[in-house]
Order: sequence, then C-alpha cells, then structure tokens
Amino acid sequence: MPTLEMILNGKEVSVEVEPGDLLAHVLREKLGLIGTKISCGEGECGSCTVLVDGFTVTSCIYPAMKAHGREVTTIEGLAKGSQLHPIQQAFVDVTAPQCGYCIPGMVMSAKALLDENPHPTQEEIRMGISGNICRCTGYYQIVEAIELAAQRMAEEGGAP
Amino acid sequence: MSTRVLGQNVPKKDAATKVRGSRRFPQDFDMKGQLHAKVIWSEHPHAHVVKIDTSRAEALPGVVKVITAEDVSVNEYGIIIQDQHVLAGEGDRVRWLGDRIAIVVAESEKVAREARRLVEVEYDPLPVVSDPREAMKPEAPLVHEERGDSNVFRHIKIQKGDWEKGFAEADVVVESYYVTPYVEHVYMQPDAGIGYIDDEGRVTVISSAQWPDHDQRQIAPMLDLPQDQTREIVPAIGGAFGGREDMHVQHLLALCAYCVRRPVKMVFDRNEVMIRTGKRHPWYVKYRTGARKDGTLTAVEMEIISDSGAYASTTVPVLEAGTSFAAGPYVVPNAKVDSYAVYTNNAVTMAMRGFGTTQSAFIYEMQMSKLADALDMDPVELRMKNLFQDGSIGLTGHEMPQGVGIGETLKEVALAAGWKEERGRWSKPDLGAASGPHKRRGMAVACGLKNVGYSFGSDDKATVGVQLALDESGEIARVTVLSGACDVGMGAQTFLAQMAAEALGVSYDQVRVAMVDTAKVPDSGSCSASRLVWISGNALVRACQEALERRDQILLAETGETFVETEHEFHGRSVHETHPYDPETGMTVPHFAYGYAAQVALVEVDAETGETEILKFWAAQDVGKSVNPAMIDGQSAGGVHMGVGYALTEEYIQQEGVPKTRHLADYYVPTVMDMPLEFTSITVEVPDPSGPYGAKGIGEMTTLPTAPAVISAIHDAAGVWIDQFPATAERVWWAMQAKK
Repeated sequence: MPTLEMILNGKEVSVEVEPGDLLAHVLREKLGLIGTKISCGEGECGSCTVLVDGFTVTSCIYPAMKAHGREVTTIEGLAKGSQLHPIQQAFVDVTAPQCGYCIPGMVMSAKALLDENPHPTQEEIRMGISGNICRCTGYYQIVEAIELAAQRMAEEGGAP
Repeated sequence: MSTRVLGQNVPKKDAATKVRGSRRFPQDFDMKGQLHAKVIWSEHPHAHVVKIDTSRAEALPGVVKVITAEDVSVNEYGIIIQDQHVLAGEGDRVRWLGDRIAIVVAESEKVAREARRLVEVEYDPLPVVSDPREAMKPEAPLVHEERGDSNVFRHIKIQKGDWEKGFAEADVVVESYYVTPYVEHVYMQPDAGIGYIDDEGRVTVISSAQWPDHDQRQIAPMLDLPQDQTREIVPAIGGAFGGREDMHVQHLLALCAYCVRRPVKMVFDRNEVMIRTGKRHPWYVKYRTGARKDGTLTAVEMEIISDSGAYASTTVPVLEAGTSFAAGPYVVPNAKVDSYAVYTNNAVTMAMRGFGTTQSAFIYEMQMSKLADALDMDPVELRMKNLFQDGSIGLTGHEMPQGVGIGETLKEVALAAGWKEERGRWSKPDLGAASGPHKRRGMAVACGLKNVGYSFGSDDKATVGVQLALDESGEIARVTVLSGACDVGMGAQTFLAQMAAEALGVSYDQVRVAMVDTAKVPDSGSCSASRLVWISGNALVRACQEALERRDQILLAETGETFVETEHEFHGRSVHETHPYDPETGMTVPHFAYGYAAQVALVEVDAETGETEILKFWAAQDVGKSVNPAMIDGQSAGGVHMGVGYALTEEYIQQEGVPKTRHLADYYVPTVMDMPLEFTSITVEVPDPSGPYGAKGIGEMTTLPTAPAVISAIHDAAGVWIDQFPATAERVWWAMQAKK
C-alpha cells in the first residue's frame, strides 16, 4: 500500500492508503476527521471542501495520493482550542447554520476566499461559495457571516 | 406581551459544534466490531421476482450474511398503510426502483459493495404504469392487485353551495390546466446510520428521523418485538423537509442488527437518495374560477390528480391537506372539488415542505394572478378583496379561528415592495428600466397559508418533560428539557430552550435540551406540519408552569429537595376539535391552527433565451410571536430558496418509471448565484390565541408563495403563463415563440 505523507492541519501525517482511495475517505475513515462531509460524492455540492496548499478541492473526488507532500487544511484545523476561527464565530453569531451539513465546506470555501482576498465585495463572496450547495438557508446569512468575518479580521489586523 | 428571552437572537444550541465540524451526523458514528450493509435494489419499476440466488455473494470472503425476505418476521410496513414489503422475496412483486430485494452484510464496505453485485435476481417484467391519468382508466394494469380493482385509492369530494349558480353569476371565468413537477428533497446529509443491540438488549438504531417514536411503531411489529425492545437515537440531522417522515434506513438497520447481532452501518450514496427515496407529489389539475367584475369570487371548480407513485406513504393526508387549501386564503361561496390519489410505478411520493399545500398554493395563486389580469385589476387589490379574516368561512365550510394574519402579511409585503394604497385602491410600483434591450421586467405577488399540526380528527399530541435542578435556596440552577422533537436544522432545540427559559424565568444558557433518544425522552410527535413551536411549545410551557408549582410546594414544605421533574401531554384538540372530510360534501373542521406568508418577486426575463433572473424578493411571514428573529429569517430565506428551485430549475424526470435525473449534476438545486441579490424578510406578529405566547408555525409557509410569485412575475414580464413548471429557459422561450 502506498504511504500518503502530508502536512495535515499543521502537523506531519503519514498514512497508508490504497491506490484508489479518495481524500475525503482517508480523512474521515483513516484519520477520524469527520468534519469533512460527503453529500453528492461527485464534486457537485462542495460539502467535502478542504484546502490543499491553500486552494479549495472537493475531497470526495480528489485522489488521496494527490495530496502527497502537500499541506491539507480541514475544518478541524481552524479553531485554536476553544477559540473558534473568526469565520466560524461569525457563522455562529449571525445564525448561519441550520442543519449544518454543508457548513464545514462553506467555512473552508470562505477561508480560501478571505486568505486570498481579505476585503471581498458581496459579489466576490457569492462567487467564492458558488460551488457550495446549501438546502436550508437560502445562503443570505452565510454571505452575511463571511462579510462579518472579513470585517472583524480587518479590524483585528491579524492574518486569518 | 413583554418577554425576556423570546424575540432574542440567542446563539443556536448546536451552532458552535456544527461550525467546528465536530457535531456528529449519523454517518459519523462508528462502533467497535461494526459490519457494513448494502441494499440490493429492484432493477425494474414493475415486475415479479422469480428467483433470488444469494449463493455467490454468500461465498465471498468477508460476507457475514445476505438478508432476504425469509429473514423478516413480518414482512410489511408503511408509515400509514402497511402496503410495502421490507424485502421483496421470490413470488413477490416489485413496484418501483426503490423496492428492496436483499441486504448484504459484510466485514467492510468494499466487500459489501462487491457482494451486492453477486446477488442474482431473475425478474418477470410487468407493464409499467407511469401516468396517473392513464392509471385511473378501468383498463389500466393494477399496481396493487390485492388492494381493490382500481389504482385510485382515495377520492376526496367537496361540494359547497351551488357552484353552477356561482359560475352563472360570474362575469369572468378563468380556466387552466396545471402540471406541478416531481421534486426531490435533496437534504444534504444522505440517509445513514448504525443498528446495534444495546446494553439492555434493545434493537437500537442511530439515524436521522423526523418522528423516531413512529419509526419504532413500524420497526417493532416488523421484528415481532414489543416496542420497548426497540430504540431509536437521533443525533444531528442533515435536513429533512418531509423526506425523512418515511423510514429509509431505520427499519433496514434494525433488521440487520436483529439478524447478525453485531453493529451494522449503512450509508446511502447520493445516487441511492436520488433514485430510491420518495419525492414531492406531482399534481395534474383542471381549475376554473369565476368572479364578478368587481373581483368578488363566485365559484371554483377543480379536479386534482395526485401521482402517489408505487405506495401510499403519506399521499392521503398530503392530498387531504392540499385539497382543503385549494381555494387559498380566499372566501369562495360555491365550490366543487374532486381530488384523486393514484398508484403508479413512479417513485413513491410523500411529505415535502408544505405537505400538499405547496401544490395548492401554486394553482390558487396562478388563478388569482390570471383573474387580476383578466379583470385588469391590481393583483394585491383583488386578493385583499377576497381575503380571509377572523371568522371567514373556508372551503370546507369551517370558520377560520382567531389570529388570521394573512391580511396584515400581504399588506406589509406589498408596501415593502413599493405598492401604494389609497382608500382600498392598490397600485403597483414603477419597475424601473430593464438592464438590456432584450430584457423584460415583471413583478408579482402571491400568498400562502397552511395548517399547523395534524388535521382531520387526528389526536395530534406532544409530551414534553422538564427537569429543574435547584440550589440550596431553591433557585433554579439548571434546566433540562426532555422532548422527542427532532431538530432537523430549523432550531427546535434552540426555540424549546428559549421558551423554557421564558416560562421559568431563567437565562437561555441555563437550559439544556436533551438529545433525542426514545429510551430517554417522551414522544413529542413528528417534526413536521410546522407543528413543533405550536404543539411542543404548548406542552413545554405547561410542563414549566407545573414545575414551578411543584418547586413552590417544595419550598413551602421545606423538604430540602433539589430536583423537580414534570411532564405534560398536550393535545391539539384541547383547543380546537377537528374532523375528517364528510364523504359526500367534504364539509368539515379540518385544522386547529394556521400560519401565513405572502411574497413579491421582481424578475427579468431574457426575451432571446427565455432565461429568468430574480432581481429582488420580499418575503413576509406571520409567526404570531417571534421566538428567534434570525432563525425566522433563515426559515424565510430557506423556504424561498426551495421555492425558487421549484419555480425555475428542479424537476425529477422519469420515463416509464426510470429516472433520468440521477445526480445533482442533472437535478439542479439553486446555488447562491441563482438567488436574488436583494432579499427582504418581513416578520409579522398577529398572535394565535391558542399558540404558546401567541406563536404559530412557520417552517413550511415560507415556501408556499414563491413559485406562483415568480411564475406570475414571468407573465408580467414576458406575457406568457407557464402552467407546467419549472419555468426553465426552454419552456419560457417556447411559450414566447408560441405567442408570437
């Protein structure tokens, strides 16, 4: 079995995978990181979004070995202990999550957007989450949460 | 009424764990020694099962058992009528692609998947009944030969007043034929769970559900066990929308655990959810509406045919609810309605947000939009003229109870969207210039109403428990709410905690809501029918009052007790009796409580492509009493989103019982880019005297007006009525060509 070595949420990780394994399955089943959700299983809905070298990928169709030697960030890598990441806190504060199944993917897409563009317009936020389907919220409170997070992060002046 | 915790945007109880990704949904549970199960599904929409050969699958290393019909103690189930086999055996019939032949249980998911392919099934195909209108004919093949000599299994008749006279008195008659689409719920979390035998020997399932106690009532007889030997635990649910009222995995997991006595995990993939689970009913409707020149409605006549798919599921109550609202929130003195529920070999149809009233909102509001057009009358004014008030007589001859808020709701949304009112005359705003030479702008309004709770004589009830932990001085230190009310995402845990905090005079943070586990919490009834705020709330508030009384007794008697527990069972009929339809006239008191919504859409239609863009949207909802404004705004926007998909993009297409839309790639759920840039949510509070603190249900009402508002706005823009929707670019373009 090939060995996948990657930096996962800031830590070096080494895990044996089978050649056909997809990243979402390896994260969920071999590494216990259940925050990455599988919904459509074909890269259409964005629920399984994680960051590979800072870029969003739909991990349910991303071959695990493609992450070899790269940096992978999942929803579990955002909070610092009991301190939520500003994006996560903003989602809580504006009541963005309903069922919450799409939310980890949404938060990861928002993270990638704000890392690249800390002051996005509303249209840029919409573009940033256009690959993430939510069936509950109608998206408005999610957009509002990302706007709030961007504003708070700018005020704090720190990098996300 | 001044309140402390109600009306506050407290953080949802589950929000922090959901944004962290740490809150577990059913597929996130694993147990030591667990096996994995896969279903062998029917390959034909209608066939006899001739032979099932499991020997090759059983021989595969790692396969523990292949479960077939022979392993099921009582091989029948169904949410209302037991018309489904759990597993179809040799000699049985399969009636749609969601019927099951066997379940493979194996040491790994991979082996289970492989073994699934090795089960050999021989079928003798039967003629496929795919159109309910054809299925009604006497010569049509029967889907259920054992259930009588017709595919029609319910005919609801309403005969009110003198409809012939009503039409004779009409100056204008609007006549239409509507077809509403098959729609998939698309809850984001595919059905999944684990079945196991718990430490007390109970057959236990961890799964998403909307009414776990009712699942148990189906599982226990299937396994021939007493109900207390079964148990269901409901963790986080990834959406439901009515789609989890019927069991999809619960009974199968219970069966697996019962047969192999080890934990068994089953996870559907999206393809299974798309092809093998229930959908929203399509309706085929002939509708006539008569009105005088001044807009007063004189009569309606309609025939509604509802495609039930292969099994009854909740088709009858869905049709009963939808039919009772088929004339909308309008006073109609004369009416004739015939509604039919019909079996076919299409996908099973079942509850979905609105429970039949989504289809009826489309047909009655399209009729009102057409009538306004025919009378050259403002659409708000026409509606206002006929609208329900307290005490109005509804379609089934019943009196509307106090708290009718549709007038206030319509008024607020129309004013917000720019309508002007002067002494009862309404005028539409100027829509501004279109964004291009081939773009056409249009604006339209629509209303919706729906019952709260179970209707037509059901003894709808909820039991809720409250535990108070007291400190030494007798003050309440901590509160636990015990309720089987499932939180599908709308925030049941949060609003129950807010109501308990309000009733007990404690802070929101002092209240914990226990996880739903049928072994530990009382039956609060189903998470459906927009009923939880109203009925669980009523039970909870009473349980809290009783707990405070008990606490006061303890303090007075100085017993030193520090724990108080109460439980209250609240019945909907205690505030309002309801009854079944009269078999001949349909006259009845159908519902005990109601909720209301009204919406306005501003759209632009591209005359060259037929494409519709929604520019702005205003959504008003009457909630009676706002418990959590942000959660209401979320329900509003979410309902509109589902309505936008219904109106413009979503259609589950089948040919001869075989679906063509099998993936999210070809079944299009609107993304954020498809939603209007400007969205305004308006909450109206017309108290329902029977609701807790005056509150009404809201979850379904927010989706009712959306499709008729959008599709009527397309007419306002492009001059075409799209009576068979979704109004895809293609449909609108063809309609525009036909008009040229």
